[in-house]
Amino acid sequence: MTVLRENVVAARTTDTRRRPAPKRTAGKWLRFALMLVITVVALIPVGVVVLLAVRPGASSTTAAPFTFENFVHVFQATNTLVWLGNSLMVTLATVVVSIVVAAPAGYVLSRGRSKAVSGYSLLLFVVQSLPVITSVIPLFILFAKLGLVDSLTGLGIVYVGASMSVATWMMAAYMDSIPRSLEEAAWIDGASVFGGFVRIVLRNSLPGVLSTAIFTFLVSWNDYLVAIVFIRSDDEFTLPLGVQSFFQQNIIDWGSVMAVAVVMMLPPVIVFATLNRFFSVGGIGGALAGQ
Amino acid sequence: MTADTLGDQDQTTARGGTGRRPRRRGSAKLTLLILVAPSVLMLLLINAYPFVYAVFQSVRNGSLIRSGSFVGLANYVDTLTSPAFWHAAWFTVVFTLVGVFGSWIVGLGLALLLRTRLPARNAFKVLLLLPWVVPVVVSATSMNYLVNTPTSPVPEVFRALGLGSPLFLADPTWAKITVCIFKVWISFPFMMMMMSAALSSVDETVYEAARIDGASGWQQFTSITVPMISRSTYISWILMTIFCVNDFPTIYLLTGGGPVDSTTSLLVLAYRTVFQNFQVGQGVAIAFMMTLTLVFVSVLLYRQIRKAAIH
Repeated sequence: MTVLRENVVAARTTDTRRRPAPKRTAGKWLRFALMLVITVVALIPVGVVVLLAVRPGASSTTAAPFTFENFVHVFQATNTLVWLGNSLMVTLATVVVSIVVAAPAGYVLSRGRSKAVSGYSLLLFVVQSLPVITSVIPLFILFAKLGLVDSLTGLGIVYVGASMSVATWMMAAYMDSIPRSLEEAAWIDGASVFGGFVRIVLRNSLPGVLSTAIFTFLVSWNDYLVAIVFIRSDDEFTLPLGVQSFFQQNIIDWGSVMAVAVVMMLPPVIVFATLNRFFSVGGIGGALAGQ
Repeated sequence: MTADTLGDQDQTTARGGTGRRPRRRGSAKLTLLILVAPSVLMLLLINAYPFVYAVFQSVRNGSLIRSGSFVGLANYVDTLTSPAFWHAAWFTVVFTLVGVFGSWIVGLGLALLLRTRLPARNAFKVLLLLPWVVPVVVSATSMNYLVNTPTSPVPEVFRALGLGSPLFLADPTWAKITVCIFKVWISFPFMMMMMSAALSSVDETVYEAARIDGASGWQQFTSITVPMISRSTYISWILMTIFCVNDFPTIYLLTGGGPVDSTTSLLVLAYRTVFQNFQVGQGVAIAFMMTLTLVFVSVLLYRQIRKAAIH
């Protein structure tokens, strides 16, 4: 718990600060060349996805060097649009529910000083360190009885459970940075504890809410393990399962696979490009820990 | 915030409520209780209940549809005596060590490079985060395209360079190497971010003082940089260890655990035991032993952080 929270804070406070570089400039362009080579090599796998997605297929009639035919094809001839809708729906629901649950709990963790609060904090840590698979198995058995297997609702419930403890710490970590004196002033003015939470703390927690939202978004958008366990039918697939379904055919249509892959990677890349200020190390770190 | 700072005193947050203190205190507690209630409820239902159920499953021989009968510790004994378990444990250790230290070395190197004066530094910083931002399902698909068959691009390049034609995913040794390299590729941006954040908090004047005292570049690195970032380094090692041990898609999407189980990690083994062989008890036992070891290693590393704490 300490670990994640420190990251969230460290990343937020130090990453944007700039340092004067050492004064030696002789090797500047050499280092630039080295960096360029490393970056190009590191981005080959990402580049390949985009390149194959826009490359005309064998049956293509166009003479242009690149085309959107593959995208048109996957949206018309495959279930991609349904998968995209499913992914968006589950992810949105997960993000909203997680924030609604984690924000008040985070407030209690941040302001509470009793043994029960520290006990709960510890419990969240223990829960987070359990691998998803141990909870997936009993939930699978339970959900089978409740008719929640092969359903997006069931999937969303598991994602909320998988992201909740980290989401709560992230909210608590952010709320720690909001001075208590603000609430105390509000209380003296007659506000209730709840009023202080909503009108003072929550209102000033937008960056924390965004970080937490990005984290839960990534947990749910990128998940493969939970989806492959719970989802069976094509109509309920999320995008990761959709991408993988192309590999069950004998001849892999790479143009189509990569087109769906581009559809899948665009939202995280867009979120990253626009909100990278809130893309804290702890948040992204937690996202993968959730798997 | 650590548990011990939280539990130091028992006082309500309603310190401001001076006038009607006793009543305020009670209602404040009630409000806090209501605020935390949904979280507690969900934790109990989605996390605690499955955990207890899983403990219960691990001492029975049930499947996904039958609850089976009580078998004591047989699942644990069977697991610990099975060669497949030890094979998977060994691969998990290799995968984790390469994943943690490989990505740390690459990440630290890049963080150091990005600290120097460099044209387009911020562009590099952002672009190099992409391997971490792109979903694993997408990058695994790309890796499959690049190395899967003997006529894929990477094997073709190897052949053109006269390096033979290794079967990257079909040869047990090469499959291990490929999976580990893939993991390093996914993880280095995380380490780069962690190390950049740590390096930016090192005071530049310390280096100036060292230079005046005649310290060489290497001496500055070993006696200033390394100690100053040791805390962040341990934290990043703990996190990456957790990521590696709990990593399913990186391995499963590339090799499915094969060929001939050579890249089966403990998590992949647990998954297959439950969902392909339908031995729920044994699968859960594997996952539990894995987690126990993971917690143990994390605690060991965590102690190192405490020792390394300079601030």
